Amino acid sequence: MKKTLFIAVLLAIFVVVQPSFAGTNWKAELKNWSGKTLHIIMIGDPWITAFQQVAPEFEKLTGAKIIIDGYGYDATHEKEVLEGSQKSTTTDIVVLDAPWIGEFAEGGYVEDLKPYINKTNASVIEYNDYLKVFREVSDWKGKVIGMPFAAYFVTTCYRKDLLDAENLKPAKTLDEWKAIAAKFTNNPKYPGMYGLAMNNQQGSCVGQSYFEYIWNVGGKPFKSCYPGSKAPYADMKPLLDSPESIEVVKLFIDMLKYQPDGALNIAWDDRDNYFSAGKLAMVSEWSARLPAFLSPKTSTVSGQIINAVVPAKAGVKPVPPLGGWVMGISKYSGQKDMAWDFIKWFCSSETHKRFVDAGGMPSRYSALKDSALLAKYPTFPAIAQSVDLAFADCRPRIPEGFEIISTIGMYISRAMTGELTPEAAMAQANKDVKAILLKGGYKMSN
Amino acid sequence: MNASRTEKLLFIAPAIAYLLVFSIFPLIYSVGISLTDLNVVRKGTGNFVGLSNYVHLFSSGSLFVRAVTNTFIIMFFALLIEIVLGFIIARLFYLVRSVRFVTILRTMYIIPIMITPLIFGLVWSYVLNPLLGVGNVMLKAAGLHALPWLGSPKTALATIVMIDVWQWTPFLMMLIFSGFMTIPHELFEAAEVDGARLVKKITHIELPFLKQVIGLALILRSMDVFRMFDLIYATTQGGPGGATEVISMFAYRQSFNYYNTSIGSTASIIALIIITIISNFFNKITKETRG
Repeated sequence: MKKTLFIAVLLAIFVVVQPSFAGTNWKAELKNWSGKTLHIIMIGDPWITAFQQVAPEFEKLTGAKIIIDGYGYDATHEKEVLEGSQKSTTTDIVVLDAPWIGEFAEGGYVEDLKPYINKTNASVIEYNDYLKVFREVSDWKGKVIGMPFAAYFVTTCYRKDLLDAENLKPAKTLDEWKAIAAKFTNNPKYPGMYGLAMNNQQGSCVGQSYFEYIWNVGGKPFKSCYPGSKAPYADMKPLLDSPESIEVVKLFIDMLKYQPDGALNIAWDDRDNYFSAGKLAMVSEWSARLPAFLSPKTSTVSGQIINAVVPAKAGVKPVPPLGGWVMGISKYSGQKDMAWDFIKWFCSSETHKRFVDAGGMPSRYSALKDSALLAKYPTFPAIAQSVDLAFADCRPRIPEGFEIISTIGMYISRAMTGELTPEAAMAQANKDVKAILLKGGYKMSN
Repeated sequence: MNASRTEKLLFIAPAIAYLLVFSIFPLIYSVGISLTDLNVVRKGTGNFVGLSNYVHLFSSGSLFVRAVTNTFIIMFFALLIEIVLGFIIARLFYLVRSVRFVTILRTMYIIPIMITPLIFGLVWSYVLNPLLGVGNVMLKAAGLHALPWLGSPKTALATIVMIDVWQWTPFLMMLIFSGFMTIPHELFEAAEVDGARLVKKITHIELPFLKQVIGLALILRSMDVFRMFDLIYATTQGGPGGATEVISMFAYRQSFNYYNTSIGSTASIIALIIITIISNFFNKITKETRG
């Protein structure tokens, strides 16, 4: 009798607890959206294929139809800002890059997701499972602007076979990094090889590079903007003419000699193509591009790649550049509840793992630590190390961020061509950026 | 039967309405915006600032001045080369016009005109990739030095001119060829009888007949160059160091990257004024020739 009772109790416990073993019951969690169409605007980055692979599961669960429009980087920004400023009701979900958060929040183009999070079962959201630094990225003055789903970090990728042949290790300092670049450039042992390729193209390309390196030479772009700052935008006095900023520009100029001809026009895709074609010893690249490096379908050096945290100047703690994407709901969407259903489903830990498995970027600790994913992506440990070192405001997340980055990039390009000295270029950049910030009403100390 | 004044007005009303809505109103609106500090994504903008945007764009060291200069450089060299090459190729096609299948060859020759500029911009940026592109492979195979093409301020603008020449010479050829077809054949026969040399034939028969068509080509192509955007966007984004910055790229960046609509409008209005002056100049030359 006692035995039967024990089994009955066990069964009862199992019935109660069973759903948590099986994961979220999405049929119960999501509404039926048959006959509705969800419009998403996003960047056409390499993981869009993974997104398109996973997203249709939502169609099966809810009956909704999903339309995904992918654009290039600048075009995504342009399209989303215009949708917001024109109060368009066409778009339901906008996918935002980290530096755009302030612009979309201040422009009032997106919903605050905090009320949506609060009304949803905490076990579905698992908010603390999101990478801490990305929770900070998503936050703007206490509002949650988007749910992280594709976090990027720059890591430096190396050709392991080449490093081994020269008994070298991944660089920890910028001097070691330069030495590796020098070793594999114009070396008769490695004909046709170059040390590296950097994002040098005029405008936002090289402007972003500035924000990737300034922290790693021990500098900062604005007075109160630095890792650990309690209020990064409290004092926006630009420091683009500081010795550290000029050091960054000089570093870019110095590194040109280790890059292929025509390096001044190298942009994101070029450096990837060069590295995948086996022409470079190393490249510092966003983690979104790593799956392509690892795949023999898209890389001639797929079996030879290792990655590590970006190098920094000796004595400076490295700050890996952070970027990547969050999903927000358009303020003017007429289907906000459906949009939230999609977001909570897509960003949930279980769907997120499937997205990462298909080539997406890990944005949750559970995905970064998942043994199956770790086995599939040997680049994850370096990403995990970068997570702890990254700074949410490494690129300005203010509405003027895009213009500031591009303006700096225009002047750095002129310095790199030799038209202006690094000092003159950055003095001019400082003047122009100060004017942009003054127009935006930012506080600046003398 | 004479139409009444009301009937005439009714017939032209749709055209006038179209012009008012799609051309005249946007133009006036754009001029208005150029006199403000409007930024479509910033609150508190749109205030009247007079001509300060115009002054700002022409200030010393301004990227816009560079953009205007580069646009003129592209226009001068591209048009010059296209007219010379277009004339030579049209003349060759004219000489062999009765040969079989030459029409097919002529049709094939104009294929570049039909390609979207953004697409051929991307294709050329692959072809001219200094490390992986077929352009340098061919140069090396011919025993020449590889070039940085779009990756150096010394060669980038020339490369843009080269791509423009590749695309638009066929258009010039087509126009000039049609001009050749209007020249009375008797004139060539008389020149042959008189023993006129090639240079005499070109300067005394062909060019006088072709002046009008070349004038038209100059007007159309100069307007095209002032609108050049896709090619620069796909290849260099105006770089390196502003070496290929053109007016349309500048206006685009201001209007759609920075949302400084007022500055973007100012740049567009200036471009419109310049192109109107140039078109009138070429039109005047053509008219004088006709007269």
